Amino acid sequence: MSSLVGFLSLVFAIGINFYLFLSRYIFKFQKQKFNLFIRFSSLLTLLSFFSLMYAYVVSDFSNYNVFQNSHSNKPLIYKISGTWGNHEGSMLLWLCILSIFSFFFSFTKNIEDNFQKLTLIIQAFLHILFGLFIVFTSNPFLVNSILVNEGLGLNPILQDPGLAVHPPILYAGYVGYSIVFSIAIAGLFQNTDDEWLYVAKKWSLISWTFLTGGIALGSYWAYYELGWGGWWFWDPVENISLMPWIAGLALVHSLMMVRGEQAIKKWIVFLSILCFSLSVFGTFLVRSGILTSVHSFAADASRGIFILLIFFIVTGFGFLVFLLKEPKKSNALNLLFINKVSALVINNILMIIATLTILLGTIYPIIIEVLYNKRISVGGPYFNSTVIPIMIPGFLLMSIAPILSWQTNKINNSKKYVLAFIILSVLVLIQSYFLDFNTWGFVGLLLGFWIILASIIAIFSSYKIKINIKFFKIINPHVAHIGVGIAIIGITCSSVFQNELDFNLNEGDKFNVNGKTVLFEKIETTNEINFQSLRGKFLFDIEKNQSKEIEAGKNYYPVSKMITSEAGILHQWNKDIYFILGDQKNNEWFVKVLINPFVSFIWLGVIIMIYSGLIAVTRR
Amino acid sequence: MAWSDNNDLFWFNSSYKKMNRIIILTPLIILLIICFFSLTYLLSGKDPNKPPSALLNKNVPSFESTSLYDTKEIIRTTDIKNRKTLINFFASWCSPCKIEHPLFFEIGKKYPELYLLGFNHKDPTSDAKKYLEDDGNPYDFVGVDADGLIALEFGVFGLPETYLINEEGKIIFKFMGPITKDVLKNEIEPLL
Repeated sequence: MSSLVGFLSLVFAIGINFYLFLSRYIFKFQKQKFNLFIRFSSLLTLLSFFSLMYAYVVSDFSNYNVFQNSHSNKPLIYKISGTWGNHEGSMLLWLCILSIFSFFFSFTKNIEDNFQKLTLIIQAFLHILFGLFIVFTSNPFLVNSILVNEGLGLNPILQDPGLAVHPPILYAGYVGYSIVFSIAIAGLFQNTDDEWLYVAKKWSLISWTFLTGGIALGSYWAYYELGWGGWWFWDPVENISLMPWIAGLALVHSLMMVRGEQAIKKWIVFLSILCFSLSVFGTFLVRSGILTSVHSFAADASRGIFILLIFFIVTGFGFLVFLLKEPKKSNALNLLFINKVSALVINNILMIIATLTILLGTIYPIIIEVLYNKRISVGGPYFNSTVIPIMIPGFLLMSIAPILSWQTNKINNSKKYVLAFIILSVLVLIQSYFLDFNTWGFVGLLLGFWIILASIIAIFSSYKIKINIKFFKIINPHVAHIGVGIAIIGITCSSVFQNELDFNLNEGDKFNVNGKTVLFEKIETTNEINFQSLRGKFLFDIEKNQSKEIEAGKNYYPVSKMITSEAGILHQWNKDIYFILGDQKNNEWFVKVLINPFVSFIWLGVIIMIYSGLIAVTRR
Repeated sequence: MAWSDNNDLFWFNSSYKKMNRIIILTPLIILLIICFFSLTYLLSGKDPNKPPSALLNKNVPSFESTSLYDTKEIIRTTDIKNRKTLINFFASWCSPCKIEHPLFFEIGKKYPELYLLGFNHKDPTSDAKKYLEDDGNPYDFVGVDADGLIALEFGVFGLPETYLINEEGKIIFKFMGPITKDVLKNEIEPLL
């Protein structure tokens, strides 16, 4: 029953959008009425999504999708997250978020009526494309032809609170770029005044903030769930989320910096189209099953072709409009000075090169397989040795960009900065010399500390310190850069200075980690509702009274016959001690201990970036 | 002189415009290249992660069952050795089973040497007999699986489910749900 409601409301919503799309040419109607229709179709799409969720919550196995992906023994939260833990449901979530963005956009004030209408018509067009994709190739409301009273369960690796909320947030980022795309295209068609830039800025900041949160959650999940001790693996799925993120970062910066330069406006339109194209391309790569990873659900060629077609239409349409309707008049950019505009242009170029480098590495295996019929994989070494060197000059520029002036060559307080930089370099060099020296470590630490220091100097020398909301809004760009600096320190330390220790242990053995004695207490097996767990219990620092207990082990999910590893992590402010329980051999357990210094700085840096993203949204 | 200055400027402007055009065309060209390779890849039918069934190419689980019509008649795993066997789990209360039921007559007629083994799953004997009386009995042997233990061994999820076992006693095909004409033609018949 709920499936029927869901399907009908989905079809009806697509129908309304089709009507609205045609309204541009055939039936013209008032803004009020138009907005009402848009909101109504959004609510219908939402209803459709919630009826699928309802089917999951009550474990309605007469729905084929629920049968395939759920199980009545699952805890309620994973029944709910199971709604988007599969291909069909996640596409419906995608469409649902698209509608929500249209819904909120229809309330935008201070915007020309025709412009708003055209933007929403393009949104309606996207809704139709993705809606038809769902109805024809990925319908989550199919009736189950088998009579069952139990489902097939969810991929157990996806049964995790972090991962339950990761897709909606990530999607909010991806799909948020749809509205930026629509705004840019509408801007090209109508050639209106620059009002659209402010609107686009707000929405691109919202998308970027969501995307940051989504990527960080996924990365944090990989850190404690995959049990490999790392948090970024240059997995194709990670790459395709990173590409729109970097392009989106370039977009946000361009939108903040634009002061009426035609060339930059053109560039903004290009980036807006690029961001959404990369989002759709990412969806294509994941959903077509071309990539093998934890994210790929059952592969189906017709789905892949359909979504490739959508990608082709959206991107082709976007760039074609860009080609034909490009803003004609152009005033030259003044790039001869070392000013904000030049810094912005250089940084944007670097970001685009980084994006293209990642794109090449991600699709290279596909090209090779088509041409030579060989399966290769491009991984960490390629990306580390290409993307990081491209980013480094960008980071360096980032530390001084906020203090550059708009028009002239003058840098305020330049002597202060040079002095600070020299002192800092010497300090970091001495510190690196006494620890084990490592070039990448040195460069990373220097850059990270320098960005933080330069931002702090800029705050103290340019503004009067006051504690009120307005002040925090003014210094927000510097705060964001401090966040990046902190994250760079975390990234450098945790990757360059990671320490790995291997042990073969019996229950009751004591061993030494970082000068602290650890007791391998016992192995415990228990039966949980939907899995069996095996846990090694460790007592960290037993000499002290307040020794900490760490559990590391594995879960076995009988329904899907899968084993997941559950790392035990002891969080300290300056390092994570990461326990992985391996296999048992000759009555001895293999235990791997990783010491990851300053991992918490990565998450702290990301939280600061998200915070300043949110502040920037509220700032006009 | 003024004329030649203008000419220089004109040349600069037009070549700048040409360059500009080419730069703006680049995204479209990249788009075409990406789409071309992706499409070729998709059409070549490569599938990096087709999930194999857990039981596929494994030996058929051992079972022992009495006949629906004669409790003295017993079928064991050893009885289906050395011949291709199609095992179908069904029940009178299972409506999708009715849909696929006529197809088994077709298979039986087309491949007389194929052994059709039906397992009646969690069904009162009288209901099962009435069902096979009404719709006909396509099976060479109907085993009783009253407590569902045989289905459990096979890993049956829901009814109906169908397995094809080769001469060596290995499961070479498994299908969940009612088999259709397409499945019969494209997936089962090539294996017979």
